[in-house]
Amino acid sequence: MALAFDEYGRPFIIIREQEQKTRLRGLDAQKANISSGKAVARILRTSLGPKGMDKMLQSPDGDVTITNDGATILEQMDVDNQIAKLMVELSRSQDYEIGDGTTGVVVMAGALLEQAEKLLERGIHPIRIAEGYEVASRIAFEHLERIAHKFEFGASDVEPLVQTCMTTLSSKIVNRCKRSLAEIAVKAVLAVADLERKDVNLDLIKVEGKVGGKLEDTELIYGIVVDKDMSHPQMPKQIEDARIAILTCPFEPPKPKTKHKVDIDTVEKFQTLRQQEQKYFDDMVQQCKDVGATLVICQWGFDDEANHLLMNRNLPAVRWVGGVELELIAIATGGRIVPRFQELTPEKLGKAGLVREKAFGTTKDRMIYIEHCANSRAVTIFIRGGNKMMIEETKRSIHDALCVARNLIRNNSIVYGGGSAEISCSIAVEAAADKYPGVEQYAIRAFADALDAIPMALAENSGLQPIETLSAVKSQQIKENNTCCGIDCNDVGTNDMREQNVFETLIGKQQQLLLATQVVKMILKIDDVISPSEY
Amino acid sequence: MYAKRSRSQPQIILLKEGTDTSQGKPQLVSNINACMAVADVVRTTLGPRGMDKLIHDDKGNTTISNDGATIMKLLDIVHPASKILVDIAKSQDSEVGDGTTTVVLLAGEFLKEAKPFIEDGVHPQNIIRSYRTASYLAIEKIKELAVSIEGKSLEEKKSLLAKCAATTLSSKLIGGEKEFFATMVVDAVIAIGNDDRLNMIGIKKVPGGTMRDSFLVDGVAFKKTFSYAGFEQQPKKFVNPKILVLNIELELKSEKENAEIRLSDPLQYQSIVDAEWNIIYDKLDKCVKSGAKVVLSRLAIGDLATQYFADRDIFCAGRVTEEDLLRVAAATGGTVQTTVNNVIDERQVGNERFNIFSGCPSGRTATIVLRGGADQFIEEAERSLHDAIMIVRRALRSSTVVAGGGAIDMEISRYLRQHARTIAGKSQLFINSYAKALEVIPRQLCDNAGFDATDVLNKLRQKHALPSGEGAPYGVDINTGGIADSFANFVWEPAVVKINAINAATEAACLVLSVDETVKNPKSESAQGEAAASAMGGRGRGRGRGMRRR
Repeated sequence: MALAFDEYGRPFIIIREQEQKTRLRGLDAQKANISSGKAVARILRTSLGPKGMDKMLQSPDGDVTITNDGATILEQMDVDNQIAKLMVELSRSQDYEIGDGTTGVVVMAGALLEQAEKLLERGIHPIRIAEGYEVASRIAFEHLERIAHKFEFGASDVEPLVQTCMTTLSSKIVNRCKRSLAEIAVKAVLAVADLERKDVNLDLIKVEGKVGGKLEDTELIYGIVVDKDMSHPQMPKQIEDARIAILTCPFEPPKPKTKHKVDIDTVEKFQTLRQQEQKYFDDMVQQCKDVGATLVICQWGFDDEANHLLMNRNLPAVRWVGGVELELIAIATGGRIVPRFQELTPEKLGKAGLVREKAFGTTKDRMIYIEHCANSRAVTIFIRGGNKMMIEETKRSIHDALCVARNLIRNNSIVYGGGSAEISCSIAVEAAADKYPGVEQYAIRAFADALDAIPMALAENSGLQPIETLSAVKSQQIKENNTCCGIDCNDVGTNDMREQNVFETLIGKQQQLLLATQVVKMILKIDDVISPSEY
Repeated sequence: MYAKRSRSQPQIILLKEGTDTSQGKPQLVSNINACMAVADVVRTTLGPRGMDKLIHDDKGNTTISNDGATIMKLLDIVHPASKILVDIAKSQDSEVGDGTTTVVLLAGEFLKEAKPFIEDGVHPQNIIRSYRTASYLAIEKIKELAVSIEGKSLEEKKSLLAKCAATTLSSKLIGGEKEFFATMVVDAVIAIGNDDRLNMIGIKKVPGGTMRDSFLVDGVAFKKTFSYAGFEQQPKKFVNPKILVLNIELELKSEKENAEIRLSDPLQYQSIVDAEWNIIYDKLDKCVKSGAKVVLSRLAIGDLATQYFADRDIFCAGRVTEEDLLRVAAATGGTVQTTVNNVIDERQVGNERFNIFSGCPSGRTATIVLRGGADQFIEEAERSLHDAIMIVRRALRSSTVVAGGGAIDMEISRYLRQHARTIAGKSQLFINSYAKALEVIPRQLCDNAGFDATDVLNKLRQKHALPSGEGAPYGVDINTGGIADSFANFVWEPAVVKINAINAATEAACLVLSVDETVKNPKSESAQGEAAASAMGGRGRGRGRGMRRR
């Protein structure tokens, strides 16, 4: 890359190692950026909608992921191009904020870029295009608010929530039991939701998976599942009305943190030490017993001697329980985490109606279920499935559904799915475009065209004639003045998404539009790319 | 470097082999060319229709920026004369925070105007002297034209400051939401008061969400720190708690690194253990006894302490970064142990949970939580906000503003031209060219927006030449491609930005002009200089000035 030449045609060396750097500027830079953005969108386009296809991704270490989730696909693709990375981040931020619609946002951005390319070829200034897009996105944003429906739900009437979660799940591989999964997700969210503050801490929902069984066996447990077993095989497998001591101290003689040495020079001393050690074990177990604990859950391990003692005293125990799980158990059972045996008091014990160890199939896998807890604010979704990939994908799908339910609790407005909201916005933006003087008008109209890309992709993926279907639906929307007409992906026979019960959250849709516009603006604004040439 | 005495005699070697040296007029011209090339790089980023640059280095870090100083820094310029431009961009950044592109552009343009004179054999010192005079006159003129916002009510002042911030932000990526951010920035700056404590405005970046989801916290916000088991059981919302700010570790550990305890009696073992526990319990007890409901520490708060606090309904956060802790201390009005009334809340932001301290009595601190679609986006937003914050602080302190959009530049240019006519001698030419160089700002604004620069500039000249002086605030209207009264349209800049930019640019131009010889020592390390060395070697030595111009 040379910035300037002297009168003999020799380049000035202005920038360090400038021969090794490449520079792309002006329209070329924009074109190159747009085409790499579009390439990413093209990959995801086929994953959109209920009939969207999955992608199989193999990581460098050979792990295979099969997924339909836009954010996951892009994350695993490990793209190198800078602009493509922006698209990945776009999808990721939709994932962070909303948790759903990660494919849609990328397809939308791709469509916007494609339209921008056409405008650039006509010689329109990129910033004018970006400004037009911004105006258009605001129109669409407000239009969405107008066509949105609020719906009421209470702790008893969760049907609308379930329907919305089902829409999310319908595009996933797990769609054959979307009803039951959606119900699980909604129940889980409601269990941990703070309806007054409209706050949902998804950390309190644990999603566990175990290979084996079938998808239908997936269940919601009002309590905690720990992938551990009782420390001693002869301990009881089922404890009712358990009082749980939650410990973060090991069943061992305490060790001072300061370096220490015990000098033993006589046999007596050795015996006292030995006795003392035994006494420690004895005391510990006794202390647990004294406060009335019927189950001990310990963050650390304990050796066979302690194990044996616990067994003798008939005190079941679970060892090596991770910190996060320990915390969840503490929250669920209303107990306190006790860092020291001396601090054990009856009040600090957690209470659970039923603790049981469950074995799965013919394998030796066992898990401990802690159910009927005093406080059911921590719940577990336990996923079963034929193989690991299936379980991973189910986890991701459940995560999407949980996010959707959470968003609805935060803001109970919905728009209709199946591309109906986009078509409606497209009509509104198109109509509004004529009111704007100047070059922006073209950009606004291009935005309207880009909005059509999502229903178009939906139709395409469902094996319908994209252009015919879209134009039919569009004219129907205008004729009947019905914003709920969308693409009939599942061939139900009606275009009315209200009848099909296909909902999406309003904030999710709005976020998609804003994020896509934002990133497209960023890409359009770049007119100079300086990079080391090996890229 | 070889001093040639005559053909037959051997050359006398003065400097180390490989030393690059070049001198004289061609050297000066070559330096000017290099500087112009650098100015060309940032040229397109000027103004509301300016474009961004995407720069990625060999390590794979990518930056997308519109900020002159950032671009200059990332370009990694090695040319000795061009480096001056990098330095003035940096100094403008640290002095006033904005106008970094302007300063580079102006310096480049001053040099460009000087080039024909140099080629024609004018002595550089003549030009330098005239340029200095011109810059002095220009600054006086700015001071004269500047409008003071002093003496207005706080509300009025706020809206005036917001206008300044909006002008700065209009050229940035977040320009679409400039009003939103401008108000936010003004609120933040006013919150910290008059003190010179910029670090009291924290900017936190959370990917996800849209720009509009960014918010200002009247107090401190920081990301939930790493927490041990038991944290979730602590209460998360307090009203009027006492806050304890610590700088100690609350963890069970050995008190002294190298201490060793020898026990001869096994029975004493328990006492050692107890002693250690007592130390930590003692500390925890004191925390609780102080009545604090919130405990923050710069160092770790261990699991034991977390659970201890959870047990007593106290909220704690360990490993809080020092800046945040300082801000908390400032906000709540204490240094080590503090008591004040404010509200603490834990809130979900994106997929992070944030601890938010708001409603602090002594106020003095603010935190902006930025949201955006991509990391680079937020990075750039942060840089833009930094510029805006600096501008607002500057405007607040110096309290004078001038019309932006190239209006002030046109007016100075007109004034200098007028002045030049009164001068007899060569200086007239130089001041005229200085005046011409100032027109680069409106010209570039037009170019970047895709307007016909000549047309707009002529309109502007006509307006500014009106004898009544009413045309003075006219600048480029970026929306219509015509001209408009920038002052009435609230395109304002603090006067100090312009003053500083003109000063710095003139200084840099004079500096480059005053250099007539470059002596460059060969690189001591071959690793980096290999490419340069090969280029140097290839060109052959002993061709007189052959090795210069690198």
